[in-house]
Order: sequence, then structure tokens, then C-alpha cells
Amino acid sequence: MKLNKLFKSAGLVGSLALGSALSAVAPTAMADQEYLLTVTRPNQLHVIDMSTNKIARTCDIPGPFGSGAMAVSKDGTHAYVLGNNWEDIYGFDIRNCEMTFSAVQSTPTIQVKSFQSVAVSADGKELYTVQNPIKKHRDRFEVMEPRLAVFNIEDGLNAKPVRTFPVDRRITKIAATEKGEVILGGADVKAINPQNGETRVVTKLANWEKGPLWLPPDAFAMHSQGEQANEYIMPYITAKFDSEEWNFETAEWWWGMSRVDLATGEAERMETIPFEFIIFNFITDPRDSNILYGSFNTLSKHDISENKTLAVYEMPHTYYNLNISGDGKTIYVGGTSSDISIHDSDTLEKIGSIQLTGDMTTSDLRVATIRD
Amino acid sequence: MALSNNNSKRAALGTGLLALAGLVSTPVLAQDAQQIIRDRCLACHTETGSAEAPSFSRISEQRKTPEGWLMTINRMTHLRGLELTREEKRALVKHLADTQGLAPEETEGYRYLLEQDTNLVENSIDQGLAETCGRCHSEARFALQRRTEQEWKYLVDFHMGQFPTTELHSLARDRQWYQIASNDTAADLGKRFPLITQEWNNWQKASKSDLMGRWRVTGFVPGKGEFDAWMTAAKTSEGHYDVTLEGLYADGTALNGEGKATVYTGYEWRASLTIDGVKMRQVMAADKQGNSLEGRMFVAAEREIGGELSAVRDQGKAAVVAVQPSYLRAGEPAELTLIGQNLKGDINLGEGVVVEKVLSRADDRITVLAKATGNEGLRTVRVGQAASESALAVYSELARVDVTPANAVTRIGGAGGNLPKVRASYRAVGYSAGADGKPGTEDDLRLGYMPASWSIKPADEVAAHDKDDKYAGSFNAAGIFTPGDAGLNPERKMSANNVGRLTVVATVADGSTQVEGEGSMLVAVQDFVRRVLD
Ligand code: HEC
Ligand code: HEC
Repeated sequence: MKLNKLFKSAGLVGSLALGSALSAVAPTAMADQEYLLTVTRPNQLHVIDMSTNKIARTCDIPGPFGSGAMAVSKDGTHAYVLGNNWEDIYGFDIRNCEMTFSAVQSTPTIQVKSFQSVAVSADGKELYTVQNPIKKHRDRFEVMEPRLAVFNIEDGLNAKPVRTFPVDRRITKIAATEKGEVILGGADVKAINPQNGETRVVTKLANWEKGPLWLPPDAFAMHSQGEQANEYIMPYITAKFDSEEWNFETAEWWWGMSRVDLATGEAERMETIPFEFIIFNFITDPRDSNILYGSFNTLSKHDISENKTLAVYEMPHTYYNLNISGDGKTIYVGGTSSDISIHDSDTLEKIGSIQLTGDMTTSDLRVATIRD
Repeated sequence: MALSNNNSKRAALGTGLLALAGLVSTPVLAQDAQQIIRDRCLACHTETGSAEAPSFSRISEQRKTPEGWLMTINRMTHLRGLELTREEKRALVKHLADTQGLAPEETEGYRYLLEQDTNLVENSIDQGLAETCGRCHSEARFALQRRTEQEWKYLVDFHMGQFPTTELHSLARDRQWYQIASNDTAADLGKRFPLITQEWNNWQKASKSDLMGRWRVTGFVPGKGEFDAWMTAAKTSEGHYDVTLEGLYADGTALNGEGKATVYTGYEWRASLTIDGVKMRQVMAADKQGNSLEGRMFVAAEREIGGELSAVRDQGKAAVVAVQPSYLRAGEPAELTLIGQNLKGDINLGEGVVVEKVLSRADDRITVLAKATGNEGLRTVRVGQAASESALAVYSELARVDVTPANAVTRIGGAGGNLPKVRASYRAVGYSAGADGKPGTEDDLRLGYMPASWSIKPADEVAAHDKDDKYAGSFNAAGIFTPGDAGLNPERKMSANNVGRLTVVATVADGSTQVEGEGSMLVAVQDFVRRVLD
């Protein structure tokens, strides 16, 4: 029922945005310079100055569009973008668009895709991705084991993996912790030591032991934007049934998440708020870890300490993605279409927008902070 | 590689051979098709076995329908870089469907996919298969193939390589999709749909009769109605025919068409005809003796607009092939038309049914005014020596109306966009309650298609609130539903599209009362993916 309504309104492109005057946005005073990064079709990386909400520069990414997934180095100077139908990785100095890194993963006989997974080590020296190789024999394909590939960023253009380690299937987004591990978001959330391939379970999801009345979680995330709270969120949907009759109508439906603290690599797993509408991505307010924001057909604000939704703002079209300024005051909602919608984090009211040259579709929306 | 050699050899045989094809025997054609495989496919595939019984990697370990082979070969050209002329492609699909096709029994239960009658909810084989394999396309797509377990495994790996996110979708990411598909599902499919079967062995050995000749045809065209006609199939070469169709719709309008047919695997009839200016396609299966054909005919550019089609061979013998309409309400005189061939002798409509008057009479078509008395039930209709069992249903009261399709998807379109609207055509099937007097039970008596008036209402409260019935489209008198225009509608809440969820209502008059039947329809947005078959 709900779904069907959402489905209808997903067709409305920008109808709300048209009338109102949206240009007046108070520039936020910031000690450090924050840049909002995203990729649009055909294949451009945009560097948006978050003090003026204007595009500072646009870098051309070689080849066809990839998915727009990217990782930002901790010092905020470099962004690594997944290009060419999820196969190649290109690194840019966002201060001048210079291409400093590239890795072409596929060969004529092996097709290699990375499903969103890119991460840079805390010291900025290594780049990680989970490769999903398929061997292309002459008259058949052969699925091979996925592996974590480690690249030396210093190797620059045409870099090759320096180490690889087998990992689970179905890993999407990943993140590097300050302790040197790589968080792997798959059926369960795991962490791997990229020096030796040792893996530990961070949060059981598919294999959780939550009791028979809980539906195994459907965990999925396409985007990483936890940099402002230094965390990694793997959201999931689950349901608690009232009996072994498995009545979907009377079950309690919940959003939940595994939230990994990237300083320690430790996680908390919890049901957060009742499932009422679809949220594609969550972020945490950097000022208060109980406050989360989510986006899809709505921008919403939640207090997870009380399992409550505090505010909902109907968006004029679908926005897959969102991020937040370092001071927690301004929310940027993007993805899907070609406009980034800017909102006040207290009221969720719209306070501005940024028009881009093409659609973001599935691209990440990330913040790079360059400190003086 | 000996590519160039083979090519020149083939060029020398070339068109001459094809032109003579009608005269040469099948083994030479088979060699010709094998030569195409050697010339065109061995850049990637490999040949083993002997020259007389060659085996081609991947190709020889599968069997499928002509449509199945076409899909694979189209993929070889579109995605793998195969180059093939149209003639080579035709010859290859024919050869592969003939020599590695499906036996008639092996297509049973899944012919809707071949007939492109896709407005239906499949009877799932089982939930596991539905979730693993039936969420992107129909289950019929794989149920109409036969492979070794190894080939089912290769197919899973093909999906993973071609559609790499397969294992990340909903209904896949919450389980070990690849391991399940590659191990459990492939083994399961290898048992359910194995390469080697008794059915296929038997069908290969069976003698097949040529489908050339004259056929007595009955069918239904949406918007025009039921018709009866004569079809001729004149053989142009082995398995290929020129076809004409000539007849009358129930309202007396003439129907005329001509085109071409190909018969695959000894029984799969596929024809393209232009009928009164409209390109139509026929998909039928012959029975084992090759004396009758059953299937569907639809508008080539709009497969949703179609109806059933059947043909009975003229063997010089008398035959009743259909009675239109197929029901008679007890106590009420009504016109019935008996469709057949070589109809001579007395007319007998079965127990308690009286012919009050013969309105017109020809060898192939008799119209009578008839009246039934007595018990409800099916009657055998006879003209002279010819008899058609259960051809006429005598009933006292209409108790139930079914709407077909019961579940349909239509799509908004047009309005200057580049995708046309996807319409749906409906029919109502009437039943009487049967011996137990309760409609909706097993013993209900199927009376046949009945004229109905058509309307829509919102499917539920949400649809009612959004006024889906006002915006999503409308019916014409012939039971064809046309969805709304594509694009945003400023009149609608939040300027939504003209999509909606509707209940389709058929109202059938019966004596002084009316009986309603319902179906459900989703009016959806355009489908930008052009599909060969779903
Ligand atoms: C340029 C290389 C190439 C050529 C030429 C080629 N194929 Fe293939 N074929 C492949 C590859 C790669 C696969 C495996 C991937 C796939 O199924 O698409 C394949 C798979 C197949 C399969 C298995 C499909 C399935 O559904 O499991 C069949 C059957 C096949 N090819 C038939 C043919 C025929 C017949 C020809 C010649 C008319 C041909 N191929 C020419 C590369 C080729
Ligand atoms: C992610 C969606 C998806 C899923 C899941 C999926 N398929 Fe398919 N399948 C496709 C598409 C798309 C094609 C069409 C390929 C082409 O264009 O030739 C296809 C083609 C096929 C074909 C025809 C191939 C040929 O050339 O003969 C078969 C048979 C098939 N699928 C069986 C299966 C089975 C069995 C499974 C479960 C193991 C499955 N599919 C799961 C999307 C899917």
C-alpha cells in the first residue's frame, strides 16, 4: 500500500522546487574548508564548496560512468572514484583535478567488478576494494571467489594490487578504520586485516541469533557517507512476528543498523525506528549520536534513543543519498536526479539547492574536509 | 583456424542449395546447418565427436524451443560479436529447434510463454525456484529448456557474469544466492528438466505428418469477435509454407489474410499473416497425428491483443469443429452456428435440444434456431456421421463469471512519448453452478465465452482516494482497456502519473438478471526494457 504511493510520487521531478525562491543560503562560517563531492552523468566529479554551495571545480573521469561510488582520503585532498561500469578506479587531487591514481581491474579474460566497495587507509597510503572476478572462457563464464585487493596509492597510474585476500560474496560498501582494519559490509559485517587477511565478525546479521520470531534481516547499503561522524552504517529491515503463524500484517516492522565506530572498529547493532517508509541511506548527526537523518522520497529525522521519528519532509522526487556539514547544521540531500537539496537540520525546511550538469543516479555524496 | 576455407565452401553451396531446399532430403540440410555452426561459431565454441555425429561445446548439451534458440543466438550476435546473415540465422534456429527441440509433452503447461500470452500469474513450480529464478523473468523461460546439470550450472555463471548484481537484489542478498543457484538449483533443474528424456527420444523417432493442406479454423480477434475461416498451407520448402486465411466474423464481416508459416520440431506452427491490413502472428502446436492445431493469434505489434486459435485438417471427412456460441439457456430459443467441414445429413444437438429452424446451411457452416429442455449438461453435436463431443453446454442459470486475464498489467504511454500504451483485451467466461448448486466449486459447468459489458472500479481504499478509476484509463465496448497518457497529470494528487490499481468488472446478462465477475489490473508506468519474451 505504502509502496504503491511512493512509487507514484517517484515520478514527480522537481515540482516543488520550481516556484519558491531558493537561492538565499546563509554561508556557514567554518574553520576548515568542507567540500561536497559527487559524480554526475556522463562522468564528472564535482567539487562543491560548502561555504558558498557553488561548484568549485569539475573533474572529468575517464571512460564510461561507473556507479559514482567513491572514497575520500582522511586529509580530504584526494577522492577515489569507481568508474567504467564498476571496473576501474580513478584518484583525483580535488584541489586541481589532477589524476593521481588509476587501476583498471578487468583484463580481456577476467571481468572484475567492485560493487561500490572503495576505501582508503587512515594514513592515505593504501586503497582497498572487493573484487568480484568472472573468468571469461571462450564459450562460458566462470564465477571466481571474491577477494579484497590492496593497492599502493603511491603506485599512481595503472596500479596493480599488491596483495589480495579471499572474502565473502555479496560485499558492497567498505570502510577503513583508524586501527588499520577494513570493514566489509556483506551478509554479516566483518573486518579484515589487510596485512594478512585475518577476518573477524563485527556484527552478525544474516547469522544473528535473535530468536525464532525475528525475521532474518534484509541488510543492504549502497552508499558510504559516515565521514562526519567517523562511522559506518549498515542499515537493515527486520520484523518481529507475534507468533509462529508468521502473520506479516500483525508483525512489528523495524529499521535497524549495525553502526561501526571507525576509531575503534567496534559496532553496536540495534533496531532503531519502526519501519514506516523507505529510507535508502542514514547518517548520524556529528553532534549527537542518537540523532539520525534518512533520505529517499522523504528527508526524515529520528531520535533512536526513543525509537522515534522527529520530523519528516516530503521531497519532490527520490533522493538516494544525503550528507551533513561538520557543524551538524546543514543537510545535503542528493543522488538520483541532478539537484542537491539543502536543508536545515533542525526543521528539515529547504534552504537552498545546487543544480548539477547531469544526473547523480547512484553516486555517493561525500564530504572532504581540508584542514589548514 | 579453417574459417576462410569453410566460408568459401559455404559460399559455393550458397543460395542454390537453399532454393532447392524443398527438394533435398533433411540430412543434407542438417549438414548445411552444421556447416554454419562450423563457420560461425567455432571461433569460440569447440567441435568434438565424429564428422557424422559432431558435438559442439555448449550448443549440443541443450534443447529448447525455436524462441529459446533465437534468444541465445541473438545474444551471441548482440553481446558476443557473432556475425550471421539473416538466412543463416533462420536456417540455424530451424535446425537446432528440429534436432534439439522439445517434445510436445515437454511444452505442456508452459505454452503461454510461446503464445506470448503473458498477462497471467504463473503457477509456481516451487517457491525456491520462483525466488531464485522466477523474479526477473517467467519460470516458463527455464521450464521450456532441457539441459545437463553442468549446463544449468554454466547458465548460473552466465547470469552472474552478464548481470553482476544478481546476487545483491532483494530476495538474493539475504541468502547465499550464488551457492544456492549453482549447487542446489542447478541440480534440481538437472533432474526436473534433463537433457535426455523418454519424451524426446520418442518424439525424435515418431513419424511426423506434413502440415500442408487445408484447415478449418476458428478463433477470436479482440475488437472483431469470434470468427471461422479456411486456412490453406502450401509448402514452399521443407517446413515452410505460404498461408491464406479466408472467413467470416460472427457479425458477418469478411476476414482475409495471407502470409508465411514455418513448422519447427515437427509440430510448432509459427506464422506471420497480414489480416485485413493488420500484421498478426500465429503460434500453434500440432497434435501428434498432425490433424489439429491449437494456439493463439495476436497483433504482431501488440501481443496483449490476441485470442485463441484452432485449426482442424480437412481430410475429406465430415467434422464439426465448433459451436458458436457454445452454450444454450434452457427454455430460450437462440441461434447457434455449427462450424465444420463436409457437413451432410441430419443435425442432432443432443438430448433435449430441438432444432426449431435451420436458418442457413452450407457444407462448412450451419446456422439454426435451437431450444433446449431438460437437464443441464454438455451435449454431443452431430451432423450426419460427424460428431463433436461436449460441444454445447445446456444450462438453466448463469451462476459465475470469470474474467480473463484474471490479473493484467497495462502500461501508460503515448502522449508524445516514444513508448505506445500497453493495452489489454478481456473476455468473460460463464459457468453454471453444477450439480451441487454452488458456484466456484469443481463441478461448475463451463459454458464458454459470453458477451459482457465492461467497467472498472478502484482496487481498494487507497486507489479510491487517489481516484485511480478516473485517471488510469477506460474500456471500450469490445472489452479492450486503454490506459491513460504517459507523463505527469497536474490534476492528480502530487501530480502523479496516470497509474493505478483497478478492479475490472464484467457484467453478463442472463435472462432477467445480471452476473458480475471481477479481475484485477495494475496500470503501470512504461517499461523501457524491450523484451523478446518475458
Ligand atoms: C565471439 C565468441 C562467440 C561466438 C562466435 C559464438 N558464441 Fe556462443 N557463447 C559465447 C560465450 C562467451 C558464451 C557464454 C556466455 C553466454 O551464454 O552468453 C556462449 C554461450 C553459448 C550457448 C549457451 C547459452 C546458454 O544459454 O547457456 C550457446 C547455445 C551458444 N553460445 C551457441 C552459439 C552458436 C550457435 C553460435 C554460432 C551461430 C555461437 N554461439 C557463436 C561466445 C560465442
Ligand atoms: C537478475 C535477473 C535474473 C535472474 C535472478 C535470473 N535470470 Fe535468467 N535471464 C535474465 C535475463 C535478463 C536473461 C536474458 C539474457 C539474454 O538477453 O539473452 C535471462 C536468460 C535466461 C535464460 C535463457 C538463456 C538462453 O540463452 O537460453 C534462461 C534459461 C534463464 N535465464 C534461466 C534462469 C534460471 C534457471 C535462473 C535461476 C538460477 C535465472 N534465470 C535467474 C535475468 C535473470
